[in-house]
Amino acid sequence: MHPKLAIIPGDPSGIGPELIAKLLSQDGVTEAADILLVGDAHIWQRGAAQAGCEVTLNTIGEDAIAGFQGLAHLDMQTIAPEDVRIAQTTVAGGTTSLRCLDKALDLAQAGLVHGVLFAPFNKAAMTSAGLNAEDEHRYMARYLGFTGYHSEINVLDDLMTTRVTSHIGLKDVAANIDGPGIERAIELAHATLARSGKTRPHVAVAALNPHAGDNGKFGREEIDVIEPVVKACQSRQMNVTGPWPSDTVFLKAKRGEVDAVVTMYHDQGQIAIKLMGFERGVTVAGGLPIPVATPAHGTAFDIAGQGVANVGATRQAFDLLVRMAGNAAPEVAA
Amino acid sequence: MSALPVAVTCGEPAGIGPEIAAAAWAELKGDVPMLWIGDPRHLPGGTPIAEIADPAEAVRVCDTALPVFPHRFAGPVTPGTPDLSLAQGVVDAIRIGVDLVRSGSASALCTAPIHKKVLQDGAGFAYPGHTEFLAHLGGDVDVVMMLASDQLRVVPATIHIALSDVPSALTPGRLRRVIETTATGLRERFGIAAPRLAVAGLNPHAGEGGAMGREELEWIGPMIDEIAQSGLDVSGPKSADTMFHAAARETYDAAICMYHDQALIPIKTLDFDRGVNVTLGLPFVRTSPDHGTAFDIAGKGIANPSSMIEALRMAAKMAAA
Repeated sequence: MHPKLAIIPGDPSGIGPELIAKLLSQDGVTEAADILLVGDAHIWQRGAAQAGCEVTLNTIGEDAIAGFQGLAHLDMQTIAPEDVRIAQTTVAGGTTSLRCLDKALDLAQAGLVHGVLFAPFNKAAMTSAGLNAEDEHRYMARYLGFTGYHSEINVLDDLMTTRVTSHIGLKDVAANIDGPGIERAIELAHATLARSGKTRPHVAVAALNPHAGDNGKFGREEIDVIEPVVKACQSRQMNVTGPWPSDTVFLKAKRGEVDAVVTMYHDQGQIAIKLMGFERGVTVAGGLPIPVATPAHGTAFDIAGQGVANVGATRQAFDLLVRMAGNAAPEVAA
Repeated sequence: MSALPVAVTCGEPAGIGPEIAAAAWAELKGDVPMLWIGDPRHLPGGTPIAEIADPAEAVRVCDTALPVFPHRFAGPVTPGTPDLSLAQGVVDAIRIGVDLVRSGSASALCTAPIHKKVLQDGAGFAYPGHTEFLAHLGGDVDVVMMLASDQLRVVPATIHIALSDVPSALTPGRLRRVIETTATGLRERFGIAAPRLAVAGLNPHAGEGGAMGREELEWIGPMIDEIAQSGLDVSGPKSADTMFHAAARETYDAAICMYHDQALIPIKTLDFDRGVNVTLGLPFVRTSPDHGTAFDIAGKGIANPSSMIEALRMAAKMAAA
């Protein structure tokens, strides 16, 4: 299936518009998907000027979205050109982010596009513009009326990581590690990999404690909680292994032996992923019914408007979305 | 290069220690003069050796043979099969190594892995580990463990404890001692006149202003500020996930980490085979390879000597600093 993707500019004050202009001028991009740019014409034009690339806006009306092909543009008129302040957090910039996101999600929910790529948001701007959620992932789930399990997935090249706990204090991690939570994270990794086209993906589960607890000498969570879940998943014929000591599990990933690592806490996976590819990381809104991806980095106000932003992660996000949007959502593991 | 040899202890003779020492000598020879303390019967057959009675002879012979400062064990060894009757010899070799380096006959100590249980059962070894034994032999000093490679140096402030015990084990006194011992070690052992230290946060995003953990606000941040005001180039607490990529690593000489995996994930992911364990705070230089005895592959000739080679190189370099 030739996928149709909606692309939104993210915060217009950051490097997002520039990144999308660079993306569109790369080889193989407009061939891989039909692309609908959802956002104000002047934002895209400014991004193209920053990037020093040519972007032709083929603006279409609402009524033409159903049949669009190639590269098209839906004009949004969310912000006056003079209100775009490069490298500044503004309410108007947050409003642009939210309105473009809402529209892209509407189109996806109506089946008019098969996936959404967003350039980096500025959370503070979105919050001031009415995000009213802890982050954009929770916002999107609520907007879509999705109540199932969903969680951010971090992607680097061919490796995905999901985590059992996230933005909580380290002292609270152990108490929040439980069997159902680990199982959900494993299933999410498995389902997302399947959707990206991996057959029989290998999901490695990281241990909580150093040396995986060394047989219970420093911590029993591996024995009491993690191992039983891994065994249960194995008995369901899933290719799941672990718990692996977390200081070497990413070497397996580097060698291509695993497709995903389920981590127990935030820094366990994020240290390794950002170390291995700070400029290539992608974030996927895991679990949502619509594939949504974004580069893992932020709006980079320090270099916004200069034309020097690295498009690598945006390209990775695009390529992953093309794969995900081209595959039907798998049955959620029972 | 130092004119004195690096003293290499044999470690657990049934493990991979003897073969990686022999392989390291074959790689380094005169580039890093060394002497091996142990029973020559425990070395792989065919290793060219030169038994020496005086450590000073090591530098002269090491181009053509592995200099062996012999210590007779109770018997030969079967690789992969630890023998309790050999345990006392392992402990003795460590003592001999420390004596050589403290008396000025060797430049530094590089220790091959021991197996704690074998030493406990065979020699009544009462220390929690190799490093604690050396801290005792060094005069009951406070030490810290550093993992070092060409690309990164990390020091975990807490080590082999459950993750749930980290917040309570990480006390202000401990963190301050780790920071200060590391700074002194970088100055004295690595020749870095004004070392730059980066301290990781305990919590994700270094707590993000108290939103996900308050230790950074309550005491880690204030302590770092206080130490910085005393003249040490120390920064933090930093978000641990963004302090280990290439550009970030250039901003510091060592990263102080709050727990084992926070330190070990980055260094092993970067440099798995080449990480070296360095003990700072001792009255002598001590390095060791960052792996265990590996009984399962001992004697098969497949053990990777990379970490041992790097440990020897680093020991010599540190001794010359």
